[in-house]
This record gives sequence, structure tokens and C-alpha cells, in this order.
Amino acid sequence: MKRTHVLSAAALATTLVATGCGGENAGGEGDTLDVWIMEGTNPDASAYFDDIGEQFTEETGAQVNVEFVPWADAHNKFVNAMAGGTTPDVAEVGTTWTLEFADAGGLADLTEHAGDTDAYAQGLAEAGMIDGRLYGLPWYAGVRSIIYRTDVFEELDLEEPTNWEELREAATTIAEEKEDMTAFPVAGDAEYSVLPFIWGAGGEIAEQDSDGTWTSGIDSDAAREGISYYTDLALEDDVSTTGATTWKETDIQDNFIDGTVAMAISGSWTPKAILEAAPDLEGKIAAFPIPGPEGGYSPSFLGGSHLSIFNGTENEDLAWSYIEVLTNDRNAELWSEQTTYFPGKQEQITPFTESDDPLVQPFAVQMSEAGKGVPATQNYGKVQGEMVLQTMTQSILNEKSSVDAATAQAAEDIESILNEDS
Amino acid sequence: MSGTVLTRPAASAAGSAPPPRRRTLPRLRKQARPWLLLAPALLVIGTLLVYPLGRVVWLSVQDYGLRNVVSGESDYIGADNYVRLLSEPYLWQIALPNTVVFAAAAVGGTVVFGTLVALLLRTLGPVVRTIVISCIMVAWAMPAVTGTYVWIWIFDVDRGIVRQALVALGLIGADGVNWFTERLTFYAIVTLNIVHHGFPFVAVTVLAGLLTVPRELYEAAMLDGAGAWQRFRHVTLPTLRPVFAVVTILSTIWDFKVFAQVYLMPGGSGSNMEVLNLGVWSYIRSFGRQEYGLGSAIAVMLTLMLLAITIVYLRALFRDEELR
Repeated sequence: MKRTHVLSAAALATTLVATGCGGENAGGEGDTLDVWIMEGTNPDASAYFDDIGEQFTEETGAQVNVEFVPWADAHNKFVNAMAGGTTPDVAEVGTTWTLEFADAGGLADLTEHAGDTDAYAQGLAEAGMIDGRLYGLPWYAGVRSIIYRTDVFEELDLEEPTNWEELREAATTIAEEKEDMTAFPVAGDAEYSVLPFIWGAGGEIAEQDSDGTWTSGIDSDAAREGISYYTDLALEDDVSTTGATTWKETDIQDNFIDGTVAMAISGSWTPKAILEAAPDLEGKIAAFPIPGPEGGYSPSFLGGSHLSIFNGTENEDLAWSYIEVLTNDRNAELWSEQTTYFPGKQEQITPFTESDDPLVQPFAVQMSEAGKGVPATQNYGKVQGEMVLQTMTQSILNEKSSVDAATAQAAEDIESILNEDS
Repeated sequence: MSGTVLTRPAASAAGSAPPPRRRTLPRLRKQARPWLLLAPALLVIGTLLVYPLGRVVWLSVQDYGLRNVVSGESDYIGADNYVRLLSEPYLWQIALPNTVVFAAAAVGGTVVFGTLVALLLRTLGPVVRTIVISCIMVAWAMPAVTGTYVWIWIFDVDRGIVRQALVALGLIGADGVNWFTERLTFYAIVTLNIVHHGFPFVAVTVLAGLLTVPRELYEAAMLDGAGAWQRFRHVTLPTLRPVFAVVTILSTIWDFKVFAQVYLMPGGSGSNMEVLNLGVWSYIRSFGRQEYGLGSAIAVMLTLMLLAITIVYLRALFRDEELR
């Protein structure tokens, strides 16, 4: 820890006096706050955070030291920092990690600071709560829908599908007419691509009984129906490609950029990157929310980032002030503009659902009407670590097991992991 | 060296009179000198190797999760992790065979191919030899990650050149084959990758050995009517036994603990459990499941296996005390 106890305590005392009438803003003249922000969300976030830092200093008198951490290394870096006692004061934490870190005792309880959690995107707030206490404040969110090539749809006279049958028909039409294109890749290594079909059919990954035990619904009839629909797109209808069995989401994106994919499940943050890499696709991409089996929408995973305060910070109020500056309306709007992610507060999302941008509005609708979280338990990170859903999807796609066998195995794995005491 | 250190104190203990003082000091100094010279190396090895190794062993007898990482508390459970590990069918059916069979194939491939290249290099003139060595060095210098991605690209299921060639030849259907999902084809690609990456070291080392073999030996063998294979078998091989021992042991150690080349392949990071080897499995157990204890137990087992193999090799190869 770089800061000294004496200094910050003194600073806190002086500013408490100084801001006596200023409400809850606790500042620290001469104090420095360590902040970790994930790298990769925004191509270059340093200017944005310089600006935030200035606003914060103006408001509290304290300095901020922002460190950018690449997403890929972040989990290990957090764990190492917790072990070594070198955690930052404030950090951006991936929503699927928050409960894990909180359960391990690394994060501060933000419930008192945050107030009413209904103000935030629901799936996102839930992902930050254990037993009704909030450990991660929803900052921004992203959701997956289906992006498609409007030029291909126009050429083949297709409409945006509104149910699963139409989706299948659109995909088979493209597969038949466009030989050099993959109509709809069914990626085996992308868990968030299979989830909408499980949820859309009415299945659940896992639910907690009143006695606290988790039961997986992935082998329920509903879930199996959804998984069958999804994998049959590849196995029966042949609208995918052999290689997609081992594709990750990044492979979908790479192939979409190459112009060889017509429709694909893709994140709300990806169109910007796709257009940057393939400017000739400008005006040829649009999106639609993932349809439900009989109309409506299939829920899609609502992911994103929380802002958390780490235990061991010497000035929790100052840390909270930083979070407040970062999430105020003006800064949240600016962040969304730059990153194409959606803000974490309900009222800040509304303008996006009313947007007429074909690459913004469908995602915003998906987020506000059909966004869903994974089971809110600290052990779910381990299910992801073991890649249970990917293993299941892949073994069906390469025809090593039937849907029934693969889902039974997945349910067994999920239950054994979620029910072990961490 | 070790002989002198051992015998001297014994001799002085057996001696009836203590040696004169004047002599003890230089002797002490003499005894201390090798240790003094070794000290920097030992210090580095101690911090960078022995300490982490001890830590892994200590972790492997604990139930250690993320909570322990944060709190620093340890939860000693004795050999439980090892019992769990050894009674896991996955170890015997998937992880161990993947590791051992693959390593055997990769070591064999690397040493044989490397030796062939070395034999070729010996016949070349100095200029051509330098050019060829520079070329193969590129393969060696290529980082494992880059090399792996190149191989993935070559074998890309939809648009890779191997697929295109095979489809053009009519050997596979228009849909292609996903070789990353099958254990055998997956490891065939990993083996190609490893052999490609590892053979330059063997080639250069063996070449260095080959150049020390006296020409007369070959001439004598030729006079006796030995063919090329017999000359290799009866002259080169025995002379270069220590060299082969070194490259085989090093290759074995490297190929047993292959990580990046498996982890980075499609499905190799955990979504296809059939293709994991011990190293990747240990990583996924530790960092995916946050069972650092069990993950460490796998790592310790891998280390012990490697130690055992190395000892067996060394004993077999230097049975006649050639080393001394």
C-alpha cells in the first residue's frame, strides 16, 4: 500500500470539517485513490479517465491513480492482489466475479451507499448481491442479440425473424442460396450463445431451493428442447459450419468481419469493432433481439461490469465519491457513447431503447426486456471455469453424445459444483 | 569432487592427533571455496525454484480455495488431495495417457527428425550449412504462442490450407472435418507443432557432437564393409550416447509439461475435456475451479513423474559410469 495511514486519517479529518455542510462527500486533500479499470472495453480510455480524475480532484481534493488492467489477466491479478494485500481502493469488476470476490471477503458492502437497488438494471444488480447486500454497483452492461447482414437479407427478400421457426427458415434460405457464407454459426465454445435458447424455451441453468441446495434445470424437457433446436441448426439444418464446433465468440466476430457470416449472436459492443475492422460493411449490418420460440424475445445474458470497493481501502467514503463521479448522468452518457455499452441505471437506458440506430435500439430492447443473469452464487464462476456449458454444447455438436446424455452430464456437474461449500 | 569432501573429515576424525592449526585455515578455506563460488547460483535457484516448489508441495496438502487466498489461512488435509486425484478415473483414462503417449511420440519425433537434419547438415558445405542452420533457427526462435497460432491457422477447419488441399484431392467431403475435436487428430497437430519447434535444438546439438567423431572411425568401418546404417548404428550412436541422453532427457521434460501448445488450441482450454494433458488440467483445476490444493497435487505428481523418468534415463544411459 502506497498511502500512509497518518496522512489519510488527517486528510479525512480536515475534509470532514471542510465539507461539513456538503452532505456525504468525503474527500481527502493530498490523499490518493488507487483505481483499476479493465482494458479492452474502450479502445483508449485514458483521456476519459483523465477527465474523471480532474472532476474528482475538483470535488474532493484527492488525487486518483488509474491503472488499466487487461481483461484476460484481471482475474488472476485480483486474486494475487487479495493474497498480497495490494488491492486497489476502487476497481471495475466483471459481474461474474463480484460474488466470488465478495464471498472470499475481498469486497466492501455497498448497500448503505447505493440506496435503492431498483434504480439499476435488474439482472446486473442481482449479480452483485449476496443475501440482499450489494457488493458491486452496476456500472455498464452489454447484452447479446443477433446481428445480420442487411444486404444478404434484402437480396434474398428475408424479414427479421420473430420466432424460432422463422429464424430457422431464414438461416436455411441463406445456407441454400449463399454457398460461400455461413448462415448462422452454432459456436461450440461460446456459452452465452447457447443460453438464450435454454432460457427462451423456459429452461434454467440452476435454481436454489428453500434449503439452499441448487438444482440444475439444464436437463429439463424445456432446456433440452431449446438446446436441441440450437444444435440441430448445425446438425440437421446445416446452417453452421464444421469449424464452428470449436469456435469462440471471437471466432464468430473474425468471420463476420471477413464477410463470411450472414447472421450471428453477437454482443452490443461488437458492431463498433466490426465496422472499424471492416469499413465496407458500413450500412450493411443491423440487429434484432433474439426471438422467443413463439414470438416475443428469448432472454440473453446481461453481462457487464460492477464498480466495487475493496476491503482494505483506508477511505471508503472517498472511494464511494469516486464511484459517484464515475456514474453520474453526464459521465455515464459519455462512457456509453465512447464504448457502445449501456449504462447500469434504468433511467439512463431509456434514451437507447428509443434510439433509431439499427445497431443500438435492438440491443437496448433486448437488455431492458429480455436480459437475464446467470445463477447468483459465488460458485458459478467455477462452473464457468470448468466450461460446463461449452463442454456440453461441443459434445453434442461433434456428435459424441446425445442431447439427453450431454445435458444430464452438465446438470450433474453444475449441481456438484454449486452445492460444494466454497 | 564429492569424494574429496566426504573423505577428508573422515580421515581427520580417525586421526589420533588434531592437525596443526596453521593447516586448518587453508583447508577450511579450500572446503568453503566451491560453496562460495556456487553461492550466487544456489541463491538464485533457491529463490526461483526451490521456494516455489516447496510452496506447491505445501499447497498440495491443503484444501486451498479463493477464501484461503484472501484470508491467508491454511487448511491442512494431509494426503486427501492425492487420494482424490489418484481415484479420479479422468486421470487414468484421459489426462495421463494424453500426457505420456503424446510425450513419447513428440520426443521420438523430435529426436529422430533432429538427428536426420543433423546428419544432413554434416554433409553440407560451410556456406550452405550456415544458411540451413539459420533457417531452422527461425523455427526454434518462434515463440510457442505464435507457432501454435500458425498451426491452428494451417489446420483451420473451414479455410485452412490443409482442408483446402484435402478437399481438392477429394480425400474429405465438402463439409470438412473438425480435427480439433478428436483426441488423436488434436494431438497429431500438437505433435507437429512440438516437433517443428523442438527439432532445431536437437539438430544443432547432435551436429556439434557429430563433428567431434573422428573421421578415422568411419573410414575403419567402411573398410570393414559397413553400410550407412551400420556406420550410424555402430559408430555414431555409441560415440554420441551422452549427447542423445541430454537431448532426450531435455525433450522429455519439455514435452511432458507442454502447456501453451495445448491450451491455445480450439477446445484445449477446457471445453473439450478429452484433450487436456496434466499441465492444462492442473491449471484448470487451480484457476478455473479455484481448487489450488488439488491443482498443486497434479503439479507435484507431474514433477515426480519427470524426476523418476529422468533418473531411470540417467541410470540406463550411464550404467557404465561413462559420466565420470
